[in-house]
Amino acid sequence: MNKEKGSVLRIEDLHKSFGDNHVLRGVSLEIKRGETKILIGPSGTGKSTLLTCINMLTPPDSGKIWLLNDEITASRKVNLLRQKIGFVFQDFSLFNHLTALGNVSIGLTKVKGMDRKKAREKAMEELKQVGLGDKASSYPAQLSGGQKQRVAIARALAMDPQLILFDEPTSALDPELIGEVLTVMKKLANQGMTMLVVSHEMGFARSVADEVIFMEGGIIVEQGPPAQLFSNPRVERTGEFLSRLSSLFGEEDEK
Amino acid sequence: MTFWQVVQHSWGPLMDGLQVTIQLTLLSIVFGLALGLILALGKVYGLKPIRWFCTAFIEIIRGTPLLVQIFIFYFGLPPYGIRLSPLEAAVLAFSVNSGAYQAEYLRGAIQSIPSGQMQAALSMGMTRWQGIISIIMPQALRRVIPPWTNEFIYLLKYTSLAYIIGTQELMAQARFVASRNYEYFHTYLFAALIYLVVVLVFSEMFSWLERRVKIPGFEYHK
Repeated sequence: MNKEKGSVLRIEDLHKSFGDNHVLRGVSLEIKRGETKILIGPSGTGKSTLLTCINMLTPPDSGKIWLLNDEITASRKVNLLRQKIGFVFQDFSLFNHLTALGNVSIGLTKVKGMDRKKAREKAMEELKQVGLGDKASSYPAQLSGGQKQRVAIARALAMDPQLILFDEPTSALDPELIGEVLTVMKKLANQGMTMLVVSHEMGFARSVADEVIFMEGGIIVEQGPPAQLFSNPRVERTGEFLSRLSSLFGEEDEK
Repeated sequence: MTFWQVVQHSWGPLMDGLQVTIQLTLLSIVFGLALGLILALGKVYGLKPIRWFCTAFIEIIRGTPLLVQIFIFYFGLPPYGIRLSPLEAAVLAFSVNSGAYQAEYLRGAIQSIPSGQMQAALSMGMTRWQGIISIIMPQALRRVIPPWTNEFIYLLKYTSLAYIIGTQELMAQARFVASRNYEYFHTYLFAALIYLVVVLVFSEMFSWLERRVKIPGFEYHK
């Protein structure tokens, strides 16, 4: 059983420096099963570093991270824990030499040791889940940005993760392709997937986020439900940042 | 003698020589590839001492003349009890030499694969080694085909140096024939044509291979 009921991810006082640059200055947060949390904040503020620390692609300097009952930061078998944490990259990072189906199934065969046929069937289901059943045999270079990101989401889903981390999943996309990716992510959130998303898509945050976390200067400045944070931030700096965001992106779209 | 008469008379010995040349080239390129892979992976992914060793090895081999290396393996080893036949010494020298060059081509290809590919592999739970084998190398090996084709062509022509230690390859046979018929120009011209044809055949084969394994829709220089 979980120490705290329903907690999928727990982070305690995380620190990370690159040389003199103290990027994370004591971040703590918790995500419960089925929750979607959106991480916002100015660039260079440690949001992406926080995500890559969670699956230890960037080893933190100090602090602790638990996935369910396993302390990731103390584990000697990090790759086993990484299977349980999906990661969706800003630049998709699909494997260029594999088809969409190959991208989704390779983790199943190489990491989970599933047999080829079963892996292909499961991969096909995941591709259908993101609406790309007809693109199974396309290579990444033959797909649009939105399609690539949906394949990347299917690739993460195929591993049956406990949690999916999204690192600005729509910021490399043309505006007209953003919607298809957000639609898939909304669907996941509604199906009860646990997600931590770095994104400045305010409409998306408003409609699916259980909580919005505002980070700046390597710390969490404020967090709360989107309705409260957007309309009535407690910290002045949060309000400033949000008003700058909405002047950039216009009014948030409807649900 | 006309050129065609020379061709007729020297056909047998030169074809024998060609056989040795191809044998020498293929053995050396394959051993060289194995060595090159080890050196390249060591240089890119190895711990510091391994990286240092691989770099030093590559630089020493690339920084010294091939002919000197051939002489060391053929004339330099017998005092230490290692007696190699001319063919063995040549294969060894060419493998080591080509390995160092192939290592650099491979290293370049490996490092040209975006770092996100390994990140994505690790993030789904692969080990670093699985990432190298399943994700990085399949892409890097495709990219290395064009420079590797060059290396093959160089090596094929450099094997002519092996005549000096008495390997009975194409060049040695041409010298032998020419010293008998005194038709130096025609005999060596014929030998040169044989090299040319073989080079063209192999480079066509490799460019076919390159097209064959090309990733659909993928451009290398994006």
